[in-house]
Amino acid sequence: MAVKRLIYSAFIAFVASVATIVILASLSPRTEKSAAEKERLVSLDELARHSRATDCWMAIEGSVYDFTDYISVHPTSPAVLTKWCGKEATEAFNTKGYGSPHSPATWGMLPKYFVGKLREK
Amino acid sequence: MFKPGNLVLALLALLPLALLVAGPENIPDTLAFAGRAAGILGLSSLLVAGIVSVRIPRFDVWFGGLTQLWKIHHVLGAAAFVLVMAHPLLLAFASARVSIQAAAAVLFPYPASWSVWAGWAAFAALTVFLAPMFWFFGQPEYQRWKALHALSGVAIVLGVAHAVPLGRSLAGNWGKTIWLGYGALALAAFVYRKFVAPLTARKTYTVVNARTIARDVVELTLAPEKELLSYRVGQFVYLTPLDPGLASGRNEEHPYTVSSSPREPALRVAIKDVGDATHTLQTVAAGGKALVEGPYGDFFPVKKRTDGELWIAGGIGLAPFLSRARALSPDDTVDVHLIYCVQDETRAHFLSDLEAITAKIPGFRLWKHFFYREGPLSGAFMSVCCPDFPSREIYVCGPPPLITAARRELRRHGVPGSRIHTEDFTWL
Repeated sequence: MAVKRLIYSAFIAFVASVATIVILASLSPRTEKSAAEKERLVSLDELARHSRATDCWMAIEGSVYDFTDYISVHPTSPAVLTKWCGKEATEAFNTKGYGSPHSPATWGMLPKYFVGKLREK
Repeated sequence: MFKPGNLVLALLALLPLALLVAGPENIPDTLAFAGRAAGILGLSSLLVAGIVSVRIPRFDVWFGGLTQLWKIHHVLGAAAFVLVMAHPLLLAFASARVSIQAAAAVLFPYPASWSVWAGWAAFAALTVFLAPMFWFFGQPEYQRWKALHALSGVAIVLGVAHAVPLGRSLAGNWGKTIWLGYGALALAAFVYRKFVAPLTARKTYTVVNARTIARDVVELTLAPEKELLSYRVGQFVYLTPLDPGLASGRNEEHPYTVSSSPREPALRVAIKDVGDATHTLQTVAAGGKALVEGPYGDFFPVKKRTDGELWIAGGIGLAPFLSRARALSPDDTVDVHLIYCVQDETRAHFLSDLEAITAKIPGFRLWKHFFYREGPLSGAFMSVCCPDFPSREIYVCGPPPLITAARRELRRHGVPGSRIHTEDFTWL
């Protein structure tokens, strides 16, 4: 009986937590990019200038992201990311170095770090 | 009692977690790691719970009997439910370091990802079929619960569909191999149990005699259409009555302990009126057909037969002991004391059978324990019947409260757990 109560409580806690996350996400202000920022073009040269762990940009599928603040949050050790700073990193992002893609959730995080579009040569 | 099969099950459930720990990704983030581990262990628990529900006659002995296997099934199912709830929450918490929107996007990614939605659908199916198990809406009705449990097949397919494309934590193709392999086994178990076993594993019997033992107890004698099931004493079968005259319980399978000796030409089962299905069986007519599947259970071990034994039976929990007592012959050298616990004299069923066996078998002694007179079963009462009981092999069968009380008294008198064998009558 005690186990049944425990599991029922866990279920209620789960539903409440999911609802809380969704409600907070919809209520907290988004960091919307301005139209000018969205249209900003970044050249490969400019990208290459941000190649340090303390100033780290990467290009993924034609978009450039500033991951400087994210490196410490990323689940792996920083070295996995920092070697791609200042570079076109689409393949590294899609394979994680051993042929396994990132999750849809990771794609959901990208807009927060968007800097601009990569300028075609 | 520990059996080699249980080790196999534990390894099977823990293998994917071990592969995560040994995997290619060094995940220093505790929340992210815990979230993945919860998902991996949750799915492996669910799939192993599915695999053990296959219920193949005789195989259950490797795992300590079907009752033991169902306990493992319940523990794995409960663990799976809790772990698959922890899994998305922990991953969302890990992403909350980026932003609350990122945390929400872990739970409900935009643009929508079908593999994430497959995970949610698997959880919904799991909730619907497990909710009655944990009494979310009070005590469920057996047949409706059993029908809902068919959703476990849906949960297995959706859970695997979630894990195969998203599982990125196990090295190389291990993730795909494990989930597709476990998923195929669990699904095969489901399909066998639901669709194949009802057609192939159940054998047709005819009810040749229905002996009314009391107002609420009947003993059915079932003659096989082909050959008689070979079984050991103390085992049980699933019985599906087909008699069109039955008001309820027709075509429903329920487990009953075999009360006959394996040497008899027909199978006997003792049935107590505890619900709709067992109630109508009290008045079943001879000549009706029934399907029998089994045998299951591992109450009396094959070895350890010659030592002194104490049997404690509660009510209809007498059935396995009756089977074994009926199988005794005067030439057998046995040293058995049976304490038969019932409310009062009117509930002491099968007394004439037991007294006949006592007269015939020199080493067999019968003691009656009436709850109205003696109160709960105590060590003191056991000492009166059988002073050397702490050094005997002890078998207990009956309702859960009697088993709990008997175990407590036995342990208090220094009987080690390894010498106490129990079989409880609960939902199977």
